[in-house]
Amino acid sequence: MTDETTTQQATKRDDAWAKPVDKLTVSDAPIGAMNLNVDGRGLTGPLQGFGQLWQKTYRIRLEGAEVSPQDVVAYWKANLPSLMPDDSRFYPSLTGVKPGEVLLINATLPGMPGGMPVSTGVLVLYADDEAFSVMTPDGHPESGFNTFSAYDDGGVTVAQIQSLARANDPVYEFGFRFLGGGAQQERIWQHVLTGLAGNFGISNAKVDIKKVCVDNRLQWGRASNVRHNAVIRTTLNAPVRAVRRLFGGGAPA
Amino acid sequence: MASGFSEFQASVRRQDGTAIIEMSGVMDSSAEQALNSAYAEATSSPADRLLLNFTDVDYINSTGIALIVGVLAQARKAHLPLVTAGLSEHYQEIFKITRLADFMSIYPDESTALAAV
Repeated sequence: MTDETTTQQATKRDDAWAKPVDKLTVSDAPIGAMNLNVDGRGLTGPLQGFGQLWQKTYRIRLEGAEVSPQDVVAYWKANLPSLMPDDSRFYPSLTGVKPGEVLLINATLPGMPGGMPVSTGVLVLYADDEAFSVMTPDGHPESGFNTFSAYDDGGVTVAQIQSLARANDPVYEFGFRFLGGGAQQERIWQHVLTGLAGNFGISNAKVDIKKVCVDNRLQWGRASNVRHNAVIRTTLNAPVRAVRRLFGGGAPA
Repeated sequence: MASGFSEFQASVRRQDGTAIIEMSGVMDSSAEQALNSAYAEATSSPADRLLLNFTDVDYINSTGIALIVGVLAQARKAHLPLVTAGLSEHYQEIFKITRLADFMSIYPDESTALAAV
């Protein structure tokens, strides 16, 4: 391989990363998406949150499917919203899953009858032919990265979701541990992977889950992250949205 | 591993109380075992700090960043200061956007890093 070819590959792969931003910007919310707690927010990684840092890996083997890792990731990017369960809706921008784009998320978290609504989002931090990663903003339930990828394992394509994240604040940590938030998170990613496998004709594959606690300490210095808590802010904003709907006040907040 | 680039390798050496992990090749999912082994070797005997030398690293993808987060988390837990050297301008930006830079000093090269610590 020539130096020029290698340089071109390096440039292409460098383009897989989002450009640096201080704050997230959401110019136009997709139809049906509630745009709260994202625009103007800073990014928060696995080291900035409050709770225990967990790496959770979810894998499904597409045994028997004649599909390459690149095909799987291309389908995944194009169909991410339809692969999500009803209580965790993703709204990509019109540009789709590309580095630097923001995906809005409208979800319902467990903890009270009917669930607690949360409007949040993620930045597409990285995207290439074999993987894409998203990073969370301030106020999101988790602080960290999720990477969606596919790879070849001895002739079988494996689809994988790997999260490296901790609860963003003490309220979320309590919710993940004691109110079913952690179980809901696992159910969501199992739903996504089984739906993805189903698209490729695999109906009976099991999702393998591996969980590793990377850091079991609570970062009490980050307890004040609760001021950005998207669930609290979404709940407090509900009366405002109701009044706007009542008086026909334009686009959703 | 990304085509056109070399396989990830990591070696450990020590200088003036600093454990240096010198890396080369592509940092992606295939780098996990070599990086974790290098970290284990680097911390097998006492050190004042850990230096990650990225000078010969060709490429880092998002899984590679996650591996670095894992090393950083372990180092923080062990109260072991971590510095980096040899990151290109592009990856210095990536370390900023991913907020890794909040927790480590970034130096242009190893000699500058060693002189500064």
